[in-house]
Amino acid sequence: MKIMVCLKQVPHQDARLDVDASGTWIQEANIKFEINSYDTYALEEALRVKDDTESEVVVVSIGPDRTTQALRTALGMGADRAVHINDDEANGSDALGIAKILAAVAKEENPDLIFMGLMSDDGNFTAVPPMLAELTGVPHTTAAVGLSRANGTLTVEREIEGGATEVVELSTPCLVAVQTGLNEVRYASLKGIMAAKKKPLDVKSVSDLGLSGSVGAASAKVSIEKIAPPEKGDSAELIEGSTDEIVGTLITKIKELGLL
Amino acid sequence: MGSILVVTEIQNGEIREASYELASIAQGIASGSGREVKSLVAGSGVGSLAEAFASKGGGTVLVADDDALANYNVDGFNAAIRAAVDEADADLVLISNTPSGWDVAPRVAAGLDAGFVGDCFRVEVEDGSFSFHRRIFNGKLDAKINAAPGKIVATIQPGAVAPFEGSTEGSTQPLSVDFPDARVQFKEIKTSESTGVDLSKADIIVSGGRGVGAPEKFPETIQPLADALGGAMGASRPVVDAGWLPHPYQVGSSGQVVQPKLYIAAGISGAIQHLVGMKASNFIIAINKDPDAPIFEVADVGVVADLFDIVPALTNAVSEAKG
Repeated sequence: MKIMVCLKQVPHQDARLDVDASGTWIQEANIKFEINSYDTYALEEALRVKDDTESEVVVVSIGPDRTTQALRTALGMGADRAVHINDDEANGSDALGIAKILAAVAKEENPDLIFMGLMSDDGNFTAVPPMLAELTGVPHTTAAVGLSRANGTLTVEREIEGGATEVVELSTPCLVAVQTGLNEVRYASLKGIMAAKKKPLDVKSVSDLGLSGSVGAASAKVSIEKIAPPEKGDSAELIEGSTDEIVGTLITKIKELGLL
Repeated sequence: MGSILVVTEIQNGEIREASYELASIAQGIASGSGREVKSLVAGSGVGSLAEAFASKGGGTVLVADDDALANYNVDGFNAAIRAAVDEADADLVLISNTPSGWDVAPRVAAGLDAGFVGDCFRVEVEDGSFSFHRRIFNGKLDAKINAAPGKIVATIQPGAVAPFEGSTEGSTQPLSVDFPDARVQFKEIKTSESTGVDLSKADIIVSGGRGVGAPEKFPETIQPLADALGGAMGASRPVVDAGWLPHPYQVGSSGQVVQPKLYIAAGISGAIQHLVGMKASNFIIAINKDPDAPIFEVADVGVVADLFDIVPALTNAVSEAKG
């Protein structure tokens, strides 16, 4: 079994988010990055398959030099090999452009399974997994909160609304986009981190994948015009003062609601 | 000029409210963009639903009526939407950002080699081209996204706009769809087992988020306030993901959608998926250390402070007030 796991390195969830000079993204200098939370569950699920069936886990990420750290972390957790698409020509790609790059990698790797997160913590697009599945011609499902495997068939519980789940079955080769909370994600052990230094990490360019001129900003069908803090519409009336004063005001409000 | 295609969604035998919200967006931008509104109603035995939708903002309604569409399955709905896009000559396709919407919409976009924008709360038309407003970084920033000329598929956040309520002249026409074999087989829906946690009936909910910091702090700090007020305890997604509380406590689009008389959010920053689940509450009090937390936008009253200073003191004050 060969499993491809697509990872994105994103700003740490507690990182300070300041808009950069272009107004189209955040200032990335001097902030910490981490593996997208959703993708950590995807990687864990792949490593669990590897734990009980002989498998190769290949992690793939698109990004600048800093992305190496995310891939090394994934190798430290137990992935076998990494592919890093590090090319300025990929910059400004929209979700479809990213899916095209990953599809080109998938074509080279020919995995039985592709695992990835449902969305990224930065863009929150929820777009790339179904796109990648369409471009590679495999079935997919999203928001997996439970997963079991038997004889090439995956039974996936996907999260729907109101606390319910929907059970679907699909056969390999296929793609599963996972929801957070699917499993308990392992940490890289010291031994794992040492071993990771010797594991292969291939760096590829967009042209290595035969995609020169078809991804990146010039080919993007959608682009960010600007980002900004959300408009403060009818934002909250802020209550200030000492703890006693604040609590007193809250009690008054709750009484006004007729709930005390 | 092409059309704007509204992809409706059927839930419990009805066209869901989110579909009327799509109709509202489509009707609002149709004339400005020189496009007409068309819709897709896809399901099994949906003829009368389609008729009704045609007169309530749906415009020309394409009806895909087939047993293959009795339950959501990505292959069947992908085929139906693709057929509708062709038939309607649509260059903007609107789909609700629901569990089935986010599952199929990007696949449709990739198949069309079209642009895609996910989870938008506003769509605008300027000089005939479309732009989209959406949140990024889990609600902490807003982004305006522009679409290049050509087809575009957008998913829309349920509840972002008011549903269409007028009446329109519309018509229905059958849509023929070539269904592929379903490679993703629907098996069953599992509803959450009864756990005694029914937040939907609570008048008062006190929810804790990542800011609560540790699982034992819920029974120590959050539950006592809920108990003092005679309410129930809830939580945000990260709390459930971390295993601090079981899933039935989760408030949000993937958990319980609640509408209590009073909702107190403690240590919850306010990711969109949480806000969707609680913003219809009658009165919201938010307590968070971060003054920029998105929760303050939907709250009626905000306290920028450490929840561990405020919540225990509030619990005592409530108990005293009740005598």
